[in-house]
Amino acid sequence: MRSRAVAAVKDSAAALERLRPLMPQPLRIHLHSARELGAKRTEETDDRPLATGLPLDRLLEGGLPRGRMVEVVGGRSSGRFAAALAVLAAVTGAGEAAALVDLGDGLDPESAAELGIDLARLLWVRPANLPQALASAEALVGGGFPAVVVDLGSPPVRGRNAEAPWLRLARAARAHGCALWIGSPYRISGTAAAAVLRMERTSPAWDQDGACRLLAGITSEVVLEKLRGQGVRRTETLQLRLEDPRVRLGIAPSERSNDEEEILRSATG
Amino acid sequence: MPRIACLAAHSFSLAARLRAEPELRGESLAILHRDGTMERVAAASRPARRAGVRPGLTLPQARALLPDLVVRHRDPICERAAQEALLEAAEGFSPRVEDAGEGVAYLDLEGLDRHFPGGSFELDLGRSLLAAAAAVGLPARAGIGGSKLAARVAADLPDSPVVVPAGGEAAFLAPLSLDRLTPPAELDATLRVWGVRVVGDFARLPEDDVADRLGRAGRELHAAARGIDPRPLIPREPPPTLQEGMELEWALTALEPFLFVGRGALERLCQRLESRGLACARLQLDLRLDPEGHLTRTLDLPAPLRDPKALLTLVRLDLEAHPPQAPAVGFTFTAHPGRLRETQLSLFGPAALSPDQLAATLGRLAAIVGPDRVGSPGLVDGFLPERFALDTYAPPAPPEAPCEPRGGSGRFTVRVVRPAVEVEVITGAGEIPIEVRSESSRGPRIQGRVRTASGPWELEEGWWGEGAAEREYWDVELSDQGIYRLFREPESGTWFADGIYD
Repeated sequence: MRSRAVAAVKDSAAALERLRPLMPQPLRIHLHSARELGAKRTEETDDRPLATGLPLDRLLEGGLPRGRMVEVVGGRSSGRFAAALAVLAAVTGAGEAAALVDLGDGLDPESAAELGIDLARLLWVRPANLPQALASAEALVGGGFPAVVVDLGSPPVRGRNAEAPWLRLARAARAHGCALWIGSPYRISGTAAAAVLRMERTSPAWDQDGACRLLAGITSEVVLEKLRGQGVRRTETLQLRLEDPRVRLGIAPSERSNDEEEILRSATG
Repeated sequence: MPRIACLAAHSFSLAARLRAEPELRGESLAILHRDGTMERVAAASRPARRAGVRPGLTLPQARALLPDLVVRHRDPICERAAQEALLEAAEGFSPRVEDAGEGVAYLDLEGLDRHFPGGSFELDLGRSLLAAAAAVGLPARAGIGGSKLAARVAADLPDSPVVVPAGGEAAFLAPLSLDRLTPPAELDATLRVWGVRVVGDFARLPEDDVADRLGRAGRELHAAARGIDPRPLIPREPPPTLQEGMELEWALTALEPFLFVGRGALERLCQRLESRGLACARLQLDLRLDPEGHLTRTLDLPAPLRDPKALLTLVRLDLEAHPPQAPAVGFTFTAHPGRLRETQLSLFGPAALSPDQLAATLGRLAAIVGPDRVGSPGLVDGFLPERFALDTYAPPAPPEAPCEPRGGSGRFTVRVVRPAVEVEVITGAGEIPIEVRSESSRGPRIQGRVRTASGPWELEEGWWGEGAAEREYWDVELSDQGIYRLFREPESGTWFADGIYD
C-alpha cells in the first residue's frame, strides 16, 4: 500500500515537471507541488491588471484593473477611441475574449484589425441608445467577459442618463472580475467609476511630404483625476500616430498620376 | 425472453394539463371532453374526486356537486407535449422506446442491467423511471414484465413500481379482475353472465371451447389471460423538433398575458432541451387566431441557447414588431435543436467563456439591441470605409499558455460616422474647404472654420457595375477641436463627413 502511495506521489511530481514549461512565469518559480496548483493559479492570474502597453498603464498602476470600472473622458479627436481600441487589442492579443459596446457605431473592422485586435475574439454590440448600451454592458459583464469596453461615441449621447445603472454596472464588474472601460465625451458615471482619466488633445501633427501635407497623428495629455475613489492628479503624454492616408485609402503613392500630383500640390499649398 | 417496462402517466389528460398550468395543482379541477353535444368529465383532480366528481359526469352534474369546480377542456397540444416529455424521460434509460399514446411508453430493458449493478435491477430501474417522469412534471406508475401486456397491467397497480417475475406472467395476472385486461364490452357482458370475474378463472377455460363460443376476440383475450402477448415493441424515431404549447381557454388580445403563459411553455421546452443536452438553434412560434387563421414567426438565434428568459425577450420583441391581426386562441413553440458550442478549456491560459453562458448572453444581447446588431466584426473587400460585416460570434479556444500582452500600437484611428452625415462646405481658392457646417440633426454636430486641410484623395470603386462610388477625400482640422474626414461626390458636388479622427 505504502509503495503505491509513493509511486503516485512520484507520478504527480513528474507530471508537474512536464507542465512547468507551460506555466506563467510566477507560477513556474513558486509552485512546489501539484497540490498548490489550484490556489496559486487563482492567486497568480485573477488579480493581474490588463496591460494596454500605453502610458495609461503607468497611471493605472500596471493596466486596466480587473473588477473595476474605469471612465475615460475625452472630447473629439482626443484619442479616446484609439485608446479604447488599444485596450481591446491588448486583451484579444493575450487570447482573452473582449466586447465592445459601440454606441456611436464607429468601429471600422479593417482599422481595428490593423491596430492588432483579434476580430474573432471581439464581440461587437451596436446599441441605438444609452439604456440599450447599459443593458448590453450588464449582460456582457454578467456573461463572464473578462474585458468590456463601452464607448458612448460623440456628443450628444443618445438617451437619458441616471447614476443608478452605472452603480449597478460597477457592482456587476466587481462581482464578475471584469475590467470595464467606459469611454465618454463627458463625465457620465457619477461616483461609480473607480478611476477616471481625462484625455485632452494638445496638437495634431501634420507631415509635409513634398508639397503634400498629411495628418500624422496627435499628442494627447492623459490626466488621472480619480483612483480607488480618491482624487489624484497625475499626467502622462500619449502620442498616437496615423497610418499614411494614401495607404489607408488604398492609393499607393507610386500609383498617383501626374494629374493627381498636381491636384495635391495645388490643394495643400 | 424480452423484458419490457411500461411507464404510464396516471389520469393523463389531467396530468398533461397540470404540467402546462402548474398553478392549478391543489385546485378542484375537472378535464372535460366533448361527447356528442354533451361535455363530460374525462378526469378530475383529487379534491374534485373527494367531492364526488367522477369521469363520465356531465358538466352540470359536476357543477351541482362542486360549484367552485375549475374546468379545462382536453388540449391535444399540451397532451402531445406531455407525451413527448414522457417519451424523452424514458429515452434517458433505453434507446428503444415505443410511443403507445395517452401517457404510455414502453421501454426495452435489454442490456440495461449493467447500469443498475445492485441485486434488484428492475426495481431500481422502475424507481428511477418514476423519478424521471416526476422531474418532467408527470406523476406516473411503472410496471415491468415479459410482455407489453404484463408490464401495462403491472403499471396500473398501486405500490408502483411492480415487477412481474420472468415467466410468471400468467400467475401474476391470475388473481386480478378481468377488467384489467379491458375486454370488449360485448365480451365482458357475456363473461359476467358466465360468472367469470377474475383472469385466472378465464385462463383455466379450454382455449378451443372459448374460441368456438367467443370467436377471435375471445381467443385473443384468453391468450392475454394466460400471459401471452405476441405484440413486439415498436421503437419510435425521436422527432427532429420539440414542441410545447396549449389551447387557450380565452382568446388573448394583449401581449403581456400571452407572454405570461408563453413563459411556462418556453421553460418546459428549455428543460426538455437540457435533458437531451441540446439547445434551441431556431425558435418557431405558431399562433392560432380567432376565428380562423395562423401567424407563424421564426426566430433565428445568434447561437444555440436554452435560456427561457432570453427566448421570451426575443419573442416579445418580435411580436411587438409583428403583432397578430386577431386575438390568439392557441400557440405552439417549436424548437429546432442544435448543439451548444463546446470549447477546450485551458489549464494555464486565459479562461474561456462558458459556451452555455455565452449562448445565453448572445441571446440577451440580440433581445436588447436586435439580432442584426451583435456579432463579430468581419472584413469586407473594397475601399469604402463604412463597409463592414457582422459574423456569428464564435471565439476560438484560448491559448494553452498565457500570452504576454502585446504593447499598444499607439496608433491614431478613425471613428466612422455611419451613415455618413451630409455637410455644407464652403471652399476657397483651389476648392480647398475653409468652413464646414452639418445641416442634419442626425449624427454628430460638426461646425467650424477649417484650420488645416489635406487632400483631395480620390477613391473610386465599383465603376463597373451598380453601386459605383467616386469620392474625393479631405482630412480637415476644424476650430471645434475635431479632426474630420470629409468627402465630396464629384458628380453631385455634395459633401459628407464619414469619420472623426479619434
